[in-house]
This record gives sequence, C-alpha cells and structure tokens, in this order.
Amino acid sequence: MQELEPPERKTQQNCEAACLPGKASVSPASSLGGNHGTPGMPRRDFLKRAGLTLAGVTAASSLLPVRRAWAAGGNPVEITFASAKFYGKQTIAEVVEAYNGAQSKVHVTYKELPPPSSSTEVHQGLVQQLARRNGTPDVFTQDIIWVAEFAAAKWALPLDEYFGREVMKDYFPGIVQGCTWQGKLTALPWFVDSGMLYYRKDLLEGLGAKAPETWDELIDSSKKLMSAGKAKFGFLWQGKQAEVLVCDLVSFIGSNGGSILQPDGTTVTIADEPAIEAVQMMHDFIRKHQITPEDVLSWDEEPSRRPFTSGEAAFLRNWSYVWKVAQTPADSSVVDKVGVSPLPHFPSKQSAACLGGYQYGINASTRNREAAVDFVRWMSSPETQLRFATQLGLCPTRAAVFEQPQIAQEQPFMQPLKSVFIGAIPRPVTPKYPQVTLILQSEVSRALATGNVKAALQSAKEKIQNVVKA
Amino acid sequence: MRDAGIHPQKSKPAINFPAPGRVLLYACAVFIVAWSVGPFLWQTSTSLQLDRELVSGSPKLVPAPFTFEHFVNIFAGKSFHRYLFNSVIVAFSTTFLCLLFGSVAAYALARLDIRGRFGILGFILAVSMFPQIAIVAPLYVLASGLGWLDTYRVLIVVYLALGLPLVIWVLFGYFRSIPPTIDEAARIDGAKPLRIFFQIILPMSLPAVVTTGLLCFIAAWNEFMFALAFTSDINHQTVPVGIANFTDLHYVPWGDIAAASVVVTLPLILLVLAFERHIISGLTGGAVKE
Amino acid sequence: MAITEVQGRPLLLGTKKARVRTWEPGPLLLLAPALASIGAVSVYPVLLGLWLSLRDTTLASPTDSFIGFGNYRQLLADGQFWNAWTHTIEFTAASTLLETALGLMMALVLSESFRGRGIVRAAMLVPWAIPTVVTSKMFGWLFDGQNGVVNYLLRGMGLIQHNVDWYGSTSSALWTIVVADVWKTTPFMALLLLAGLQTIPHSLTEASIIDGANPWQQFWHVRLPLLAPTLLIAAMFRALDAFRIFDLVYVLTGGGPADSTEVLSTMTYKNLFSALQFGYGSALSTMMFITEAGIAVIFGAILLRKLREVGQ
Repeated sequence: MQELEPPERKTQQNCEAACLPGKASVSPASSLGGNHGTPGMPRRDFLKRAGLTLAGVTAASSLLPVRRAWAAGGNPVEITFASAKFYGKQTIAEVVEAYNGAQSKVHVTYKELPPPSSSTEVHQGLVQQLARRNGTPDVFTQDIIWVAEFAAAKWALPLDEYFGREVMKDYFPGIVQGCTWQGKLTALPWFVDSGMLYYRKDLLEGLGAKAPETWDELIDSSKKLMSAGKAKFGFLWQGKQAEVLVCDLVSFIGSNGGSILQPDGTTVTIADEPAIEAVQMMHDFIRKHQITPEDVLSWDEEPSRRPFTSGEAAFLRNWSYVWKVAQTPADSSVVDKVGVSPLPHFPSKQSAACLGGYQYGINASTRNREAAVDFVRWMSSPETQLRFATQLGLCPTRAAVFEQPQIAQEQPFMQPLKSVFIGAIPRPVTPKYPQVTLILQSEVSRALATGNVKAALQSAKEKIQNVVKA
Repeated sequence: MRDAGIHPQKSKPAINFPAPGRVLLYACAVFIVAWSVGPFLWQTSTSLQLDRELVSGSPKLVPAPFTFEHFVNIFAGKSFHRYLFNSVIVAFSTTFLCLLFGSVAAYALARLDIRGRFGILGFILAVSMFPQIAIVAPLYVLASGLGWLDTYRVLIVVYLALGLPLVIWVLFGYFRSIPPTIDEAARIDGAKPLRIFFQIILPMSLPAVVTTGLLCFIAAWNEFMFALAFTSDINHQTVPVGIANFTDLHYVPWGDIAAASVVVTLPLILLVLAFERHIISGLTGGAVKE
Repeated sequence: MAITEVQGRPLLLGTKKARVRTWEPGPLLLLAPALASIGAVSVYPVLLGLWLSLRDTTLASPTDSFIGFGNYRQLLADGQFWNAWTHTIEFTAASTLLETALGLMMALVLSESFRGRGIVRAAMLVPWAIPTVVTSKMFGWLFDGQNGVVNYLLRGMGLIQHNVDWYGSTSSALWTIVVADVWKTTPFMALLLLAGLQTIPHSLTEASIIDGANPWQQFWHVRLPLLAPTLLIAAMFRALDAFRIFDLVYVLTGGGPADSTEVLSTMTYKNLFSALQFGYGSALSTMMFITEAGIAVIFGAILLRKLREVGQ
C-alpha cells in the first residue's frame, strides 16, 4: 500500500468489511437505534431507554459522548477517542473532525488527556478508564512502553484479524514488534520517535572527521575538540533517574549487541557482559574520558539539549524534537551547524536506537468494534500520517510517507531521520514494564554515581527477575 | 477595663531601637527583598530574553536583545487568559468558603463548649497528614461517578477540604487568645454565638483572617496535582496546569513559562499590597476602637 | 472596651469558666459545614487506602487477595523504604527548622515600622506566589551545575573555584532541594508569625523596655513565649507539608542520583501511579500517614504543654 488513497474511499471499503454478516451482529445504524431510540419508537419507550442509558453513562464515566448526531440517512455510530495532547499547527481535535467530516457512518468524540510530558498521569488516567471494562474510551493512544501491559491485561483488542501481515509490512519493523505482545498485534502505529546522535557538523569538519560510527570515534573526536577549546563538552546524554535513563541505557546496551530482557519476557540479561560493558562505558564517559559532565546524572532531555543548542557541546543524544529547536534562531546558536545520525556502536556491532512514540489501541470492551477499527485505520493511513507529519511534526511510522514531497517542504528535518527509525528497537517488552523501569532507573543511576557497575547490575537483575517471574 | 498603655499600631515602632539596631533592621529588610525577589527578577529578565541567550556562559540581568515575544506567545498563542480566569474563580471561591466555614468552626471550637474539641481538631488535622498522591485516584473515581470532572466545583470542594485544617487551626489559636472579657458583656446580654462571632470576634481577628485567607488563596492558586487529574479542557484548567501544558513532548519553552509566571505573580503581589494594612492592624487596634 | 493586663497572657482565657456553659445545638451546627467538607473529600479515599493496603492487588493484574499485613511486612523489610523514610525525615527537619528561623526573622523585621515596609512585605510573599510547577524548573536553572546563576555568582565572589554539581551529586542533591523548599515556603511561616506577633499586646513589650530589657531579652523572654503557640501551629503545618514534599524532588532529580533524594512521596507516586501497585503503594501511603501522625502528636503535646504553661 505505497500509494496514497483518498480517505473517503478507504473508509467505505472498511465499512463494507465491518458490516459483513457474522462479524458484527448489528449495523452501525441499528446499534445506535438501540442506544438512543429510533425515530419510530414510542416516545415513552424511548425516554425510558434514554434514561437508562443516561444513568449508565453517569455511573460509568464522564468520557461518554455528549453530542448526539442525527445525520440524514441513518445515525452515525458514536465512539470516543482519548489521547494525550500534542501541539502543532493543527490540533488532534481538528484531525478528528476531519474524519467526522469525511464520512457519515461514525462520529468520534475526542477526549483530551494531558500532554505526554505528564505521561504518568496520562497512563494512570487511561488505566483507570480501561480497568472498568465498560467500553470507554473506544479508542485510545498509548506510549509504546504500555503496549504489553495493556495487552496482557486484555484491555487492548487484538487487531490481527483487521490488520494482517500484508498491511503491517508497510510500517517500520521495530514498531510493529513493539506493537505486538505474545504474537498478537494489539496496537496500530501512530507516530515514531527514537534516540539519535546530534553532532556539530562545523566542528567535525574542522577536525576532518565525519559523524562517528563507533563510540571510540566519538570519544576521540570529543577529546580533540575539548582540548582544542572548540567545545566545552564532548558528549551529552541523559542520566537523570527517570524514564529517559532507560531509553539511553537501551541504546547503549543495544549498540553492544546486548539486551535487558530476552523476548521471552522472563530471561534477564542486564548483568551479562555486553550490558556491563555498555554501562561501564557510560560511567567512563563521565569519569575516565571526562567528555560528559557529572551533571548529566540529574539531566533529562531539556537540560542536556540547552548546552548543545547554545554551542557548548560537540555531541548530544536526544529525540527528534531537538532538530527543530536547533534550527530555530530564537532558541539556538547553532542553526545550520547541526547534523544528525544513528547513535554510534561498539566495534563490529550495530547501532541501536531506543524506540519511542505513541500508538493507537482499541478498547477490548468496546461495543463499537467495527467503527473503532474504521477510525484507527483512517488515523494510521498514509494520508493521515502525512497530515500529522506536516501539521503536528509527528514522524510517520510508515517508511513510504517520508518520501512525500510535502514532508520535504514542511518538515525538512524528517527525511534524514528515516534511517534512524529503521533501526529503532523497543525497550524491554513486558507487562511488568512499569516496575522494571523503576528498578533500572534506580540501579543504573547507582552504577553511574558509584562506579560499582557490576554490583548494581547484578542487583537489578535479581530484582527484575523477581518482578517478571511473579 | 481601661488600659492607657495600648498604642494604635501605626504610631511608632514598638521598640525604640538604638541606631545600630535601625541599621540592622534595614540590613535585614534589604536581605529579605534580595532573597525573595532575586530569583524572581532573574525570571522576569529571562521572560524578556530569547531562549538561546539563557545558556550563554555569563548570565545577564538586563535582557539584550530585548523581546516581548514570550508575553505575546502566552496570550495570543496559548490563551493564557483562559487559565487565569479559571484560577481566579476557583481560588476566590475556595478562599471565601474556607474562611466562612473555617472561621465559624474555629470559633465554635475555641470559644464554645464542645466536648472532645481536641479529638475534633485531631480529626481535622488528619486530612493534612494523608499523602495527597494517595487520594487523587480514589477522588478521581468519585468525581467521575458524579459527573464532576471538568467542573469548577470539583476543584473548589477538594481545595476547601485541603485548606480548612490550616484555617481552622490557625484561627483556633487566635480566637483562644482573645480574652473572654471581650465578649462577656454580650454573652451576659444573651446574644447568640453567631452574632457575637460576626460582630465582635471576627472584626477583631482580621489579621489572622486575612493571613489565612491569603495562604488559602495562594494554595488554591498554585495547586497542580488535583487540577491536572480532574480537568482536561481549557475552560476549567487552572494556571499551573496551563503552564505545564506549555511543555510539549519534551521541549520546555522556558521564556514562555517565565513570562507566564511573571503574569500570575503580579496580581498576587497587588493583592498583598491591597490587604497589607489589614495584616498588621491587629487585635490591639481592633480592641482600641471599641 | 480595652484590654486589661490579663490579656498579657491571652491563652489562659480559654478555660472552662470563661465559656458558655449551657448546651445549645449551636456549636456542633457551626462545625458541621467544615466537617462535612473535610469528610466528603477525605473519608472515602483514606478508608479505601487502608483497605487496599491489606490486599495484594495491582490494577493491571487479575490477582486481588487479602493478605493481612503482608504489604507492611514487605515494606518494613524494604531497604528502599527506609532509605526514603530517612531522607524524608531529614528533609522535613532541615526545611522546617530553617523556615522557622528565617520566617521568624522576617516576621520580626516586618512587624517593626519603617519606611517601605509595605513593599518589603509584598516582596517577601513573592516566592510563595509563584506556582510550584515553575519554582521547580526555576531552581533547576538557578542551581544548574554548568550554566546556573548560583555557581556563576559564587564563582564571582570567589567562594568556589569550580562549578558545584548541585543536583548531580549524591552528597548535595537533597540539600539543594532543601534550599529550594526553604526559599519557596518561608513566606508561609513569616506571614503566620507576623500575624501572631500582632496579638502580643504592646503594653507588655513596653513594660519590659521600661524594665530595662534590651531588644534581645525582650524578644526572648516576652515575645517568644507568647508567640510559641502560633509558632508551634505554623511549624506543625509546615512539617506536615514538608513531609509530603513531591514536586520539587520529582522535577529536579526524580529521586536520584542513586536514590539519594528519593522521598516517601516520590516513592509512593512511583508505586501507585507508575507501577500501579495499589496494595503496596497504599501500604506506603499509610506508613506516611502514621509517621505524620507521630509528628503531629509530638507537636500537639508540646503545644498543649505550652498552652497550659501560659495558662498558669
């Protein structure tokens, strides 16, 4: 599915699929009639039903749609969509309205959650809704690290029957892997982000060096630039005891061919040699090579980004958002001097990037499964991804969308990132991820602060084993 | 009951400091201003600078180049006035109810015959002891069941409960410190407790009431966790949530945040200046007027 | 009506004799609105928390069983809990003491009359008025180890040779957060104490001056004892609040590095909100509650003794 189809056509196809007998017992129109009364229904009956529904609504949740659409030619199915808030030239609400306007079978009410900077609150709010299993919200968006948790709790509807292998091969493979739990696809990709290496083109040119492919090259260039007084810092990354530390960890360990948790979800490999070497290297950046200031132990994304965009650092690991900041004159002193590439790796190993981003999910308890599927299909379609890319700056999860000319025009930073996204790998995939990440944050922070790498990772291993085996 | 030794507060310093004392007093005053306003000044200055200037080796207090961009951004781009409006409504309602309920309760506890008053005070205090993090989730479920999410009232009710312990305890202390002789005559005349309270006790306690009111107002004005959990649309979100909303996925527009914090702090300073004289005209002042 | 010498000892006057003797429905009715508001918001969550703390339950997993005090046993054996508990106590003690001392100084200065007092009073309140969301980020900036204004100023004054890594070092991170908290909440203490100073009749302070007391003696022997109840109430509320410190820690260090700033609130938040371990997290918050109750009892006991002392 490389070509872009007009959304209307797709929608109709989907609905045909959705309304196949056997798959869904009620058509959208009649199911709505059951909820809100058809025109022919006796008034008292209707009121009674409406009253019941309303009582249910009040008791169940406030997320249910308030709006009643009485479109001509049958009532659309009402579904709700809850998502974290993102900013751009358009809002998510406008995109949802575009869907509502493009077809008349489904009407989506958008419920805004806090922005992803409050991701713990987004997660908590969502879980509270899903745990009630009352079908609200019908569709939601989730951070890639919640996919396994939601799938294992059976909150997320398996999507394999709607999105087969043929469809999924158009997405980046790492993301599809991250959207899959125990062989079942339970999330549909929305947008991608990943860790990457930012470097100062001008400084490297001065050295006659190119973007580093191995960590040794990065250390070497950093030291040269620092001793020549060209850069105050060599390499900045994020060591704050927070989620971002785990993101950095995943890419450092991955770049040494190691991992934290095997795909089986129970074999813990955080204390194996590749992981130990990688964490030791993080410590060495600070103590031995001194190309990273000790301050990174309290830095997350923004504190580490600022010295880089103000021209003090040669290299920075960060997410895709930095590119745009670095090119904005009001925020940056290094406009046009920044390059981006995949993170370096250990000798004869492969670069690894930590996969981030949000994905769509359908509530397993939804009463409007077909409508929900239709909606997410539209939201994840190439043309909607293009719209999110150009209007909200969210990177597509379909490789082909990167080739669209509008992307080059509106978001020139995106195209070069495609190569980074192809190699992005997920964080440990386990329903216990929320607990696993807390252990990792605490123990890796300890390893970096004290230098007792082996002991800390061994301790992490034992604790994680306790959690994933429970 | 006459005592000529009472001065109205405004007249003279309570203590006639010797000259070195005056110097020390002024030195302390300068310290207070520098300590309290220094960081805020820095913040104000950053709100008038481009973000890129912030990490430039040597911090500067005078913005160069100077920009109003951040102030334009927060109003034109981020509708900051909406959040301000919501905060004003929530904080004023909370303060009013807190003072009304709290002062009456404190009066009853302090000056009327109530058995087990310390038990009741302890119960009231218990609210201040349970971690707020632990009550957010159950309250969210409750509020959602009542259909109270995205309303002013859910915030007002919660802030009221969180603010009452302080109001009651502090006012309890004050009311106990008012001599019984003050309202003795009224009691002998058979005046009802509420009447005594509003006509005699309350006017005398203005400094305490204004002080606790201010604390209440600012607490409601600044609360973040409940506001974030209970409101999700701009028509009900308060200022702290609005400011947190400035941060997108990772990018923190510091200049905008600094500008917003300048904008929210100024009204509070004006409020303090307006009420300042009530903080000081105290018990004595009130008593002398009688 | 004016005030007699008796008010010099204002707090003795709440004795039984002085109060209305006949019982009427009034007093309890007057309490009702406040108690109802507090009860509505606190009773259900607190009871739910207690109940959950006796169960083995996470929101995501289907397991949910009564395990008695299992969570508490696990908690008491958890090194991380005691680590966080210790940090919280240290933080509470340090910030309450510093805030009380500084707040008292401010209140004493501001209760004097001098030119520009109104401005100084308004200035004093500025830190309290800035939303905590912003204060946290602002202190991140000010104490940034590389480009922070504080390091810049300290270097300029020759107090330090090299930049101090305030938040990134396990030895300084917690104390830097104490500074941020002291800055932010001293106005709370100062304002309450300032109002408390107003209740001290001038007749007393003047009398002591006539007796030849210097300002220090006058403060120590006359004003401080009378201020004690207010001071204790304010300090108690401050301590209870400091014990629940969350925002500053979460934004500035996330509990790190190496758990060196982990406090009970951040630990509870991680367990309850991030990991959604309702049972364990609720046990944690109940332990917080118990510790806080201990703090309150200590303050309450001192307060009662003071009240009696003054009353005699």
